This record gives sequence, structure tokens and C-alpha cells, in this order.
Amino acid sequence: MPTLLHAIAGYFILLLTIRLLSRRPGSQMTVFEFVLVFLMGGIIIGSTMGNDRSVTNATCSVIMVALLHRSVSHARNRWPAVGRLIDGTPLLLYQKGAWRDEVMRQMKLAPEDVLAAARTKGLTGLAEIDYAVLERNGQISILSKEKEK
Amino acid sequence: MSSTEQFTEPATDNGPLVDDAVEVGEDLDFQRAWWRFEKIAWIVLSLVLIGDAAGLFGRGWLAKAEVTSPDQTLHVGYERIERAGTPSEMTLRIGSTAVHDGRVRLFVSESLLQQLGAQRIIPQPATSDVGPNGVTYTFPATGSPAIVGIELEPSFPGVHRIELSVPGAQPIEARIAVLP
Repeated sequence: MPTLLHAIAGYFILLLTIRLLSRRPGSQMTVFEFVLVFLMGGIIIGSTMGNDRSVTNATCSVIMVALLHRSVSHARNRWPAVGRLIDGTPLLLYQKGAWRDEVMRQMKLAPEDVLAAARTKGLTGLAEIDYAVLERNGQISILSKEKEK
Repeated sequence: MSSTEQFTEPATDNGPLVDDAVEVGEDLDFQRAWWRFEKIAWIVLSLVLIGDAAGLFGRGWLAKAEVTSPDQTLHVGYERIERAGTPSEMTLRIGSTAVHDGRVRLFVSESLLQQLGAQRIIPQPATSDVGPNGVTYTFPATGSPAIVGIELEPSFPGVHRIELSVPGAQPIEARIAVLP
């Protein structure tokens, strides 16, 4: 029983901490994210399993985490407010020649991040961009002027 | 049933449009509230770390406590905040007035042995007498103060009242909180 409670606590503590770390541009994990994932995962494992390293305990913990994840996913789809809390909402970064300074600053993004996303679509500069959107998964979507037409 | 009949729900853009052209699904009011929450959350998390370093959650100077019986016969050093599954040590100094015939008798309440998970007593007691509320240990004592160590490792969180006493001295009572 304590293991299951520890698994629940660990899941939500990790969820909150990762959510607080904000979205980073780009869908690929950088070395920093790898460090976070492995280190935090390792830390939580210690307290979740405790001294009971049996297969039974590990199996029950894995099932509990899977059940939690499924429940949270269901709640996220069922109630948009929960989805907003867990994933946030897309954010407009650039709109027809103007940066959204507040959003750029709060999300710790630089114009170079948007330009990098534009280059991956074969665009050469801001003159070819109408909108840039930071998506919920951390990717930056670029809507080019050609595409809009 | 044809394949088109399965799709009965019309799919339309139903969110606000930016410049009447692009549906982004942005909720800036929510996002601003979240940014405020983020700032508060990071402050709280920083305070948690500072509190942890100071021992607010055990294993630090804020957690350490000492208590002495009014007649100075028994002195106990312990951690008022313990962590479940984490070992710690309680140290008892027993004065010369409690030594009789080269022996010291020490009563330890059941809560210390059960809830706080006393793992080992150093030195090994010569005898152990089990009573209704705890155990009375007898140690051979040649000098003063006689020092006894009790290794603790509580299993579950909670607040526990402990009692320690030696014959002829007033008992010591203390509360120990065990965090998850």
C-alpha cells in the first residue's frame, strides 16, 4: 500500500515539476532534458520502491502509474480545463510583423528560436512569415505568407 | 453501412480566429494566470529547499532536539522530525544517580520500539523485561555518564509520543513527527 501511495505522489510531483519547467522549443530532447528525465526518474524510483524490491511491488507500482496516466489522459480529453492545466494552450509568438513580447519573455524564447523553426520550413526570414505559434508540445509552427494564400 | 455514414459529426473551426484567418486556440488569460502560478510555485519550491537544508523536514539542525529530565539524571538527544524509512540515532546519557550496583535500568516506551522502529540498542542490554507499555533494559555500567544509543528507522508517517525513564528519575516525554 505505501508503494502505491508513493507512486501516486511521485507521479503528480513529477508532472507538476515538468509542467513548471515550461515548454522548450523543438520536439527533440536535448542533453539537458535527458539529464532531467533520468535523474528525476531515478530519484522517484528510490522512494517509490523503498526497501521492497520484489517483482510484486514493482509490478503493482507500474500498474498504478499506468492507471494514473490513463486517468489523467482521459480527464485531459474529457475536460478542456484539465487539458489546459496539463498541456497549456498554444501561444502566438509572432503576428504579421510584430513580436508578442510578453509571450516571448515569459516562455523564455528568443527570435532566433522562431527563425530556426522557419528555416526548417525553407523560409529565409521574417518577411516570409505571417504567424509563429508555440504549440502545446513545444514545437514552433510557422505559417508562411504563401501558405496562407 | 458505407464508409461515409460513419462520419456524422460535422467538423468545423469553433475557436476564435486571429485576424479572422487563423485558429490558434490561444487562451492568454489562462496563460497569464499560469505564469503567476509558476512564479508562486517556484518561490514555494525554493522555500521547500531552504527548509530542507535547515532541517525543517528532518536530517538538519532544526530537527535536532535535546531534552533533560528535571533532576538532570537522563539526557536524550534525538531528532524531533524523522523520515519514514530513514535511519537515525537517539543518544541517551544517564547520570551516576541512576547507576545502582554497577547496573543501569532504562524504560523505553512501546511507541519507540514499534512506530519509530528501534532497530538496535548500543550497547547490547544484559536483560530485557517486557512490560505492558514498553520494555525495561538493564545495562552493566562502570562509569558515568552511561551512554546508550538507539538506532531508529520508522516505517510509517505520523506523530508519536515517546517516554523514556530510569528508576529514581522523572520520565522524559517527547513527540516525534515522522514524515513520509
